[in-house]
Amino acid sequence: MSPRVYAFIRDLHLYVGLFLSPFVLVFAISVVFLVHAWIPGAAAPAEKRTVTDVTLPPDFENLKGREQLAAAHTVLDRLGVHGDISGLRQIPRDRRFVFTVGLPGRESSVDLNVAHHTAAIATRQTGGWDATVYLHKMPGPHNVNVRGNTTFMLVWRWLADATVYLLLFLSLSGVYLWAALKAERRIGLALLAAGAVSFGGIVYALVA
Amino acid sequence: MPSSPELAAPAPAAPGARDVGAALRTWNRRLHYFLGLYFIFFVWLFALTGLLLNHGQWKVAEFWPNRKTSTEERAIRPPAASDQLAAAHDLMRQLGIVGEIQWLATRPAPSRLEFRAGRPGLTFEIQADLQTARAKIQRTELNASGVMNSLHTFTGVRVGDAKNQRDWLLTTIWALAMDAVAVGLAVMVLSGLVLWLALPGKRLGGALALVGGVLVCGWFLLGVRLFSP
Repeated sequence: MSPRVYAFIRDLHLYVGLFLSPFVLVFAISVVFLVHAWIPGAAAPAEKRTVTDVTLPPDFENLKGREQLAAAHTVLDRLGVHGDISGLRQIPRDRRFVFTVGLPGRESSVDLNVAHHTAAIATRQTGGWDATVYLHKMPGPHNVNVRGNTTFMLVWRWLADATVYLLLFLSLSGVYLWAALKAERRIGLALLAAGAVSFGGIVYALVA
Repeated sequence: MPSSPELAAPAPAAPGARDVGAALRTWNRRLHYFLGLYFIFFVWLFALTGLLLNHGQWKVAEFWPNRKTSTEERAIRPPAASDQLAAAHDLMRQLGIVGEIQWLATRPAPSRLEFRAGRPGLTFEIQADLQTARAKIQRTELNASGVMNSLHTFTGVRVGDAKNQRDWLLTTIWALAMDAVAVGLAVMVLSGLVLWLALPGKRLGGALALVGGVLVCGWFLLGVRLFSP
């Protein structure tokens, strides 16, 4: 192993690891909340209000896709509701739209009645711990055509991907750095094998 | 300005204290390596499936359209237990199904027992009519990508859903493994910080990287909400 390559990879491992550490903590902390279905402070009561005389963009009910989302954001801005639209349900029979709008630590539900130009809004401040869960789950596999309609969510999507790629780099470079330490090889190999056996064993038992 | 020699410079550590400090640093470095090596396969699984979950449109991530389903109807012996969970377990034993039970949001008629049961990548939707002693079983099997994605989210519980509790030993073991990986990663972050602080030559570069990460991540965690009206 060239000492220069080793030193370069060690420095890169250090700096990437330090940059990534808050992201890793966000994902790690939220795992505990998700695994135990318990988020401190997330069950805060909703603040409810109703807005009348809501001005709607022309032909709002017939818009589709990104045009509909852009128009919905115009309406939500007027209602003072900000965040990424994570769910959108149109109920044509009642001429209603139900939006779920989220920010890390805040969740709003907007029931928009197009016929009466009214909106019933419920907003919950779910707090910092729930923010970690929100970021962990976003953008996620659901409502793919809807989510990612704000700049912050588009950037977060990119950062969540970057976290994965950088974590893979950290684990591979970590193995490389460990392999260079001859004194730690035997116990390291034993732990690698123990990890492989426990991982493989649990997965096999779950899946097979 | 410090006025006493004790404040001007720390007193040289006694040889014993130096030994303890050196031993702690060595063990901190070992802890960082050893946790990383032990959890590497878990971390790869959760990292890669996280990527797949965020990119369901990728060909490799597609699993739902490729699922295999089959339905069959079988005779059953109506469970004697009045407790729903015990009755569901009895029914699963009769049908040869093993896995975590998931209760559905809709409540069936009293003469029916309806639930979902399964393991990552394989689910059974069971609709039993206790009066006619017949059960309809819909089996859904996912491909490898579906199995991996299911492992990422297989906890047996969901926030805001008090109806469902973990009822299969392997789900509990998997949930504990998820906890262990999370705690292991957090410990690795902390031990990494200690390793960095022991390198005086890397303090500035490291501080820039760390502050950069804290600012970017902190913006999403707190800033987006605080700066939104």
